[in-house]
Amino acid sequence: MSSFRSQRLWKRLFRKMEIHTIRTKLIISFLLIALVPLVIMGVFSYKVYFGSLTKKTAQYSLEVVNRMARDLDEYFLDIEAVLTKEQDFYIDQFIKLAHARDFNNRKYTFRIWEDLNNLSRVKPGLEEIGLVFSNGNCLSNYGLYSVDYESFYRQVQEAVLPRGVALLGPGTNFLNKDVVCMVRPYPSPAWADEVFLVAGIDLERLAMITNVKLGKNSYIFLADSRGKIIYHPQFEAIGSISPYYEQGQYGKIAGNGNNGLFFTTAYSEVTGWSVVSVAYAEEVEAELAAIRNFTLVVIGLIFLGVILLAVYLSHSLSRPIQELQDFTQRAADNELSVHIEAKGKDEIAQLAHSFNKMISQIQELMSENVEEQKLLRKLEMESLDNQIKPHFIYNTLDLIIGQLESNNTSQASYLIEALGNFFRLSLSKGREIVPIASEVEHVRNYLFIQQLRHGEEYQYEIVIEDPSILENYIPRLLLQPLVENAIYHGILRAQREGKIVITAYRVDEDIIFEIRDDGEGIGPEKLQDLNEVLRGVRQLENEKEYFGLRNVNKRAQLMFGEKYGVFLTSKVNEGTTATLKIRAVEEDPSL
Amino acid sequence: MSLFVRRSLALSLMLFLVLYLSPPLYAEELTIAFLPRGLGNPIFLDAFEAAQKKAFELGVRLEWVAPFDFDGDVQIEIIESLIDRDVDGIIASVNDEEAVSEVIGKALDAGIAVATFDADCPGSGRLFHIGINNYAAGVEIGKALVDVIKARGLQEEQLDTMIMTGYREALNLEERIRGFLEATDGEINLNIQAILENEDTVEKSIILLEDYVRVNPEVEVIFFVGGWPFYVPGEALPNFQKWAQGGGIAVGIDLFYDALLLQKEGLIQYLIGQDMATMGSLGLELLVNYLRFGEVPPEFVETGLEHANEDNLDRLLQIHKPWLVK
Repeated sequence: MSSFRSQRLWKRLFRKMEIHTIRTKLIISFLLIALVPLVIMGVFSYKVYFGSLTKKTAQYSLEVVNRMARDLDEYFLDIEAVLTKEQDFYIDQFIKLAHARDFNNRKYTFRIWEDLNNLSRVKPGLEEIGLVFSNGNCLSNYGLYSVDYESFYRQVQEAVLPRGVALLGPGTNFLNKDVVCMVRPYPSPAWADEVFLVAGIDLERLAMITNVKLGKNSYIFLADSRGKIIYHPQFEAIGSISPYYEQGQYGKIAGNGNNGLFFTTAYSEVTGWSVVSVAYAEEVEAELAAIRNFTLVVIGLIFLGVILLAVYLSHSLSRPIQELQDFTQRAADNELSVHIEAKGKDEIAQLAHSFNKMISQIQELMSENVEEQKLLRKLEMESLDNQIKPHFIYNTLDLIIGQLESNNTSQASYLIEALGNFFRLSLSKGREIVPIASEVEHVRNYLFIQQLRHGEEYQYEIVIEDPSILENYIPRLLLQPLVENAIYHGILRAQREGKIVITAYRVDEDIIFEIRDDGEGIGPEKLQDLNEVLRGVRQLENEKEYFGLRNVNKRAQLMFGEKYGVFLTSKVNEGTTATLKIRAVEEDPSL
Repeated sequence: MSLFVRRSLALSLMLFLVLYLSPPLYAEELTIAFLPRGLGNPIFLDAFEAAQKKAFELGVRLEWVAPFDFDGDVQIEIIESLIDRDVDGIIASVNDEEAVSEVIGKALDAGIAVATFDADCPGSGRLFHIGINNYAAGVEIGKALVDVIKARGLQEEQLDTMIMTGYREALNLEERIRGFLEATDGEINLNIQAILENEDTVEKSIILLEDYVRVNPEVEVIFFVGGWPFYVPGEALPNFQKWAQGGGIAVGIDLFYDALLLQKEGLIQYLIGQDMATMGSLGLELLVNYLRFGEVPPEFVETGLEHANEDNLDRLLQIHKPWLVK
């Protein structure tokens, strides 16, 4: 039951997440692209870093103790150099007088004290420097005092190094200071007993040399070759045998409660001591754990940052698309007034621009269509109005009556038929586009009627150069206004017999109709004005002016484009040619 | 005389000589430590040599310990180390009475016999002091200066004076100054311009003296409370030499060969010396006798003063030997 509920909960959650949306897909994509490499890199880096850090810690410890060993060597070599004295006149004289129990030795004693005092200032940490004689006297920079010579001599013999110097201690000197002593035999005269030069080095100096903290509790100590601690930060350990000393060396101690101690050891050649760094594994690991935690926190923060960034990016990318979709939907719902405020120059912005352009063009086309329809309706009305003008009808009917009274029945019959065809074709069953053959027939009927009405004052001729033109289509009532203009403004105004020739021919994809009359013609100024009006160069204030011409021209342009329409040429008293240029339309577009 | 008798006499003589020349044997060898104020102060060398000789005679082990240049803290550390090493006796020359009294008390508590020489530490409970009456020495040198001034007919004039001492905390030196000022007061008119402290070192005393007379050539009198700058020849003190040759009057306490030479050159008008050798030998003997036989010495043992003036200068130059330490 509960599993069913949880399934429903999950389903509801997933539905809520709208995983199918671009936004969700983008978020998931960004997360996958960013986080998968990040996690892989993080895990890989951590492993590499952990290993490297462990190695570096060990290397660093080794470098530190090696450097300390070198420092120790350098320091003790300097001390050894201080102790390296050739035959010294004052010391020899002091020894000589001491042998002779002659105490008039102030000159030599004073000089020796002076020398020793100066030497003690040569090196920092050189606490005391003196001469130890076999009678137990020690003449140092602190004066003359007694030492336990037997013990001293035994220690020297036990600690003497191959190159002749011995390191004693740690112990306390005359001033109760903790020192290690470097001892070197003085080349005393052959007849004299052994004399030693002794330098007491303050343990504080060793503390300074080894004063590097490798961890919170870790420390460094010095021990001699037998494990005796020479210096240790815990003073009470000095002089004891190191518990970590095993078989002449230090290593990682396991068991016996010492588990987890890291020893790094360097050997000081000059002193014969080991510099031992003791580090607690816990500390090293704690340090690494801190780094690991830090790494995880950083990865977590990056994770969070990537999520936020992905949400932001996906939102910023999907929002315009979403808006575009909304606008498109509204446009699809016939709300063509929508306009997208496109920001930026990206593809979506360009798409928005294109959308706006498309909507704008649709609006234009629709308004053009509306205008065209309005024009057409107007023309129809005009045409019908013209056609049903009483005098047109009365004249035509009178003409028919006249023909009947003259028993010219066949002529009357022709006229009635022509008038009937004329009205029928004018309406064209309400179709906007008609075959050119119909339009030509309509013009022919019109010319026939007008010729009879006006007493056959003019002749007419219709020349179709390419009969296939008749099978093409043309907006209805496009030719008749032009023919009407030729009759009324050309032939009739000339008050002489004239002729109207209608020629149709094909030029490439276009069809040209020329309606030429040899009537009065149009003056150049008016002709220019007419052509400017037709080309849209000049706007008219009176909409009734040139109505027929403008109507035909506009409808042709609306249907076929700006390069189509009516073009006029004329010469005064020679006649006018109205050229109608349309595109060849082979199929009825309304079907 | 038979061969046996001759051999016996020869053996007896040899035995006598060996016994006479050898130090006396006691069940326990005493260790006595002298603490001069500084190893680098040559004034103590007389005492050092005399103490060595006496120590050999008495069959005691002598220690002579101090920092090279005086350092009150190190002097205290040395006394503490002597307490730790359980020496039998200590004879110290004390510069800073207040600082050293406590550690002398610790030594006395530890059963170590403590005496002072040259510079006393009377409030410390030390067994005895051997040296001079420093106040009296100051009075003597003051009187000597009065004589010199009067001889020059300058007793009515105000004389700008500089005093050079070791430390103002040193009781013996302060006593000398006190005696000097009291002896001159009312007799001559000294205007004390400065009291310079040379920290009981020869080097610093020379630097201070040379600088002072270079900057203050108008100073007319210098009183040297001790003989620190007199261990070098006159040529090593060019400014002082020039000043003295220009009429400057210098008197001082501490009398030794190099100082007498300076007096001979006319750079110093009067010297009063103390017997450092007696301080070394007699001081040691008194302390050893106290330790071995319980003989309690007097609390103050006067070693006497020595005057050096025009009358006895040549004789003193023959008696005193060069120290040859510089």
